[in-house]
Amino acid sequence: MRYLRLLAIFFRTELAYELEYRTNLALELLQMVVIITTSVGAVLVLFNYTTVLNGWDLGAMLVLLGCFYLVQGFGELVLQPSFEKFMEHVRLGTLDFVLLKPASAQFLVTLRHFQVVQLAQMGLGAVVVIAGLPRVSTLGPAEAAGFAVALVCGFTLIYALLLALSTFAFWFVRIDNLMAIYWSFLDAGRFPVDIYPGWLRVTLSTAVPVGVAVTVPALAISGRLDVAGLGLLVVGTVAAFFLASWFWRLGLRSYTGASA
Amino acid sequence: MIEIYRALFVGQIQAASQYRVQSVLWMLFSVIRPVIFLAAWVAVANAQGGQVGSYDVRDFAAYYVALSLVSNLATSWNAYDFEFEIRMGRLSPKLLRPLHPIHYAVVENIVWKMTTIIPMLIVLGFVAATFDARFRSTPAHLALFVPSVVLGASLAFLAGWVVATTAFWTTRVHAVSTLWDRAAFIFAGQIAPLALLPGALQTIALVLPFGYMLGVPAEILQGAVDVPTAMVLIVVQAVWVGIFYALLQVVWRVGVRQYTGVGA
Amino acid sequence: MTEPIIEVQGLRKTFRVTERQEGLAATLRSFVRRHRRDVNAVAGITFRIEAGEVVGFLGPNGAGKTTTLKMLSGLLYPTAGEAHVLGFVPWRRENAYLQQMTLLMGNRTQLVWDIPAADSFRVLQEIYRVPEHSFRKTLGELTDLLELQELVHKPVRNLSLGERMKVEFAAGLIQSPRVAFLDEPTIGLDISMQVRIRGFVAEYNRRTGATILLTSHYMDDVVALCRRVIVIHHGQLLYDGPLADLAERMAPYKIITATLRDGAAATADLAAYGTVTARDEGRVTLKVERQIAPERAARLVNELGDNLADISVEDPPIEEVIDRVFSEERVGAAT
Repeated sequence: MRYLRLLAIFFRTELAYELEYRTNLALELLQMVVIITTSVGAVLVLFNYTTVLNGWDLGAMLVLLGCFYLVQGFGELVLQPSFEKFMEHVRLGTLDFVLLKPASAQFLVTLRHFQVVQLAQMGLGAVVVIAGLPRVSTLGPAEAAGFAVALVCGFTLIYALLLALSTFAFWFVRIDNLMAIYWSFLDAGRFPVDIYPGWLRVTLSTAVPVGVAVTVPALAISGRLDVAGLGLLVVGTVAAFFLASWFWRLGLRSYTGASA
Repeated sequence: MIEIYRALFVGQIQAASQYRVQSVLWMLFSVIRPVIFLAAWVAVANAQGGQVGSYDVRDFAAYYVALSLVSNLATSWNAYDFEFEIRMGRLSPKLLRPLHPIHYAVVENIVWKMTTIIPMLIVLGFVAATFDARFRSTPAHLALFVPSVVLGASLAFLAGWVVATTAFWTTRVHAVSTLWDRAAFIFAGQIAPLALLPGALQTIALVLPFGYMLGVPAEILQGAVDVPTAMVLIVVQAVWVGIFYALLQVVWRVGVRQYTGVGA
Repeated sequence: MTEPIIEVQGLRKTFRVTERQEGLAATLRSFVRRHRRDVNAVAGITFRIEAGEVVGFLGPNGAGKTTTLKMLSGLLYPTAGEAHVLGFVPWRRENAYLQQMTLLMGNRTQLVWDIPAADSFRVLQEIYRVPEHSFRKTLGELTDLLELQELVHKPVRNLSLGERMKVEFAAGLIQSPRVAFLDEPTIGLDISMQVRIRGFVAEYNRRTGATILLTSHYMDDVVALCRRVIVIHHGQLLYDGPLADLAERMAPYKIITATLRDGAAATADLAAYGTVTARDEGRVTLKVERQIAPERAARLVNELGDNLADISVEDPPIEEVIDRVFSEERVGAAT
């Protein structure tokens, strides 16, 4: 409850800041619209030559692309700004201030900063999902619930990945290269993970679970995910979250000299 | 001029050696996007019995391997650097030097490419093997690829500078370059070989400069176009380089006047 | 009053430094075998501080001041030793402890660059769970003391260094801490701003009774604020006591300044009375051993008679004392 209040106040502060720069906001929105339209265009070019791609028809592909922008938008809404700030804190030594606050350091670091305009990216993603939906299947409560669970899992997987990657900052300070792993693999989420060759598919499903984070919610909403699959996702997500949190605490302990 | 370039090269090579690991990593990551679209086209081709237009699965592999190579040779980040320098007020001292800032960028780009070309070829060899790429190119294609990729890289470089010079007028270069990048995304041959762009898109792509930066050299290297067509395309590339060279001259002169007139 | 606010016993911090050469090959080699070296940042120090004290923590760069402050605020685990602050072990970082302390660092900012400080204060209020009425009261007091009215609504990046530091103080004190660690709070500020920050700290201590441990490069800060100082060097405690006694303990000489009347100035040779360290027109500064200083001053008065316009006997300036201590210690350490 307290943490929700904190989240709300973090969000409000950044919203006030972003609203001051309306032109920037408008340009950001324009860029998002252009980016998403061109991505939809790319999918349409592909489907100009086929009606189905590895079992994914055009509707399902649009749903997937929408999920991609939902997940990427979530990352850019809160994770990217927060983790960038975290790395800056480590570099400038201002992380000390965060660690001295009477609240969970992990929370204060990882969910502290927002780029509120990215809500629009998620909104546009939702629009693309909805555009694809009528072609896919009838959306019942089961699909909707499965989708919600899978999407939250997707967000959490991305969170865990970024948390684990950024934890390396405790040891190496400069980790831009590591973070680039996320940014470059993320792009692969725009297509279903099963079209990729083995090594890439395995990477996108385990070490860098970007593919799973996008593909599974898309499967869920189009009614192609069974309960076992969803259960597996939930278990994997919980495991990833705790593993990443444990790694983070390890890094923090080494930072304060509690270990080693 | 040669002396100056030699000095710049020595400096840049020293700087680059510090960022070697970083350069190689970025290069590796830059291969991921072409692989993504390659995988998508392979899936399309498989759904269509192995053939899409004139491309089969192995042609797609060759095309995207070629495109990765060309992208690596033709991409430059100068637009971002340049905007940063203007915003931070770091351009003024550079303007005072007796050498046009573009020369630093030229050298920086060439050095970056030299440091990444070997690992790039290894990675692309791996991708080509994974997807069983088949190149249809003859020795003539390979000979034509050299001027084509040089022209493509020059075109991308000059166009990048033209985009970057908008920083003289607006602090929002980011928006401009996003639009530019997305146009390139569609029309340069990234989402599909130019020959597979449907109807109107293909016509537009042939009229716009983007395809002549990446797609054309890639098709020549892969051998997707015959030799006479390749020669025509190279001539068009040269024309575009000329146009952007002239454009940059004008935009730069006006821009610098504007910039120094403001007194920043 | 019996329980000390800060109690430190044999506190020690050893850093293990990995030495690595530049270059890829050396980096790879260091993966296999690391060259490590132990550095004693804090080599076992003991002291206690009572409620309401303002204590100056002195030492040259690298003496271990910041390391000690970091351990006391809970940012670093010590290698050995104990510390209790407000009855808590700092490095357990219990919320109940963090709630009651603050660490301010002159060269680092905790405010978000792009937003006005007022917004950051609200965030801090929520983090520290400060009730609205005490938040308003505290902020009102801080605003008066620091003259913040104009500053809190501007984005922090638009503030001058001094203004930023004032706002930084307000941000660090919003939770009304009982203990404040100030690490170089006036660094880089101009003289008048230093004076104002000093005035603020003194007034804050007087009003709230908060215990303050402060490090500073500027002896003026220490002289103005601290009656007690703790001096450390090479991680070891050299002195702990009243500032007033520091000179007596650490500098075995006094400074006699004699002002001569016109005429006598040119001819008088005062070398017989002590070491002449400066001569400016009629003012002569002499360095004289502490024990014999009164006697030498009396002789000066007697022997110069009417030629003497003024005379004073003082402790050497505190900076000089400190410098002397640190440079001697270095010599001592070398032998």
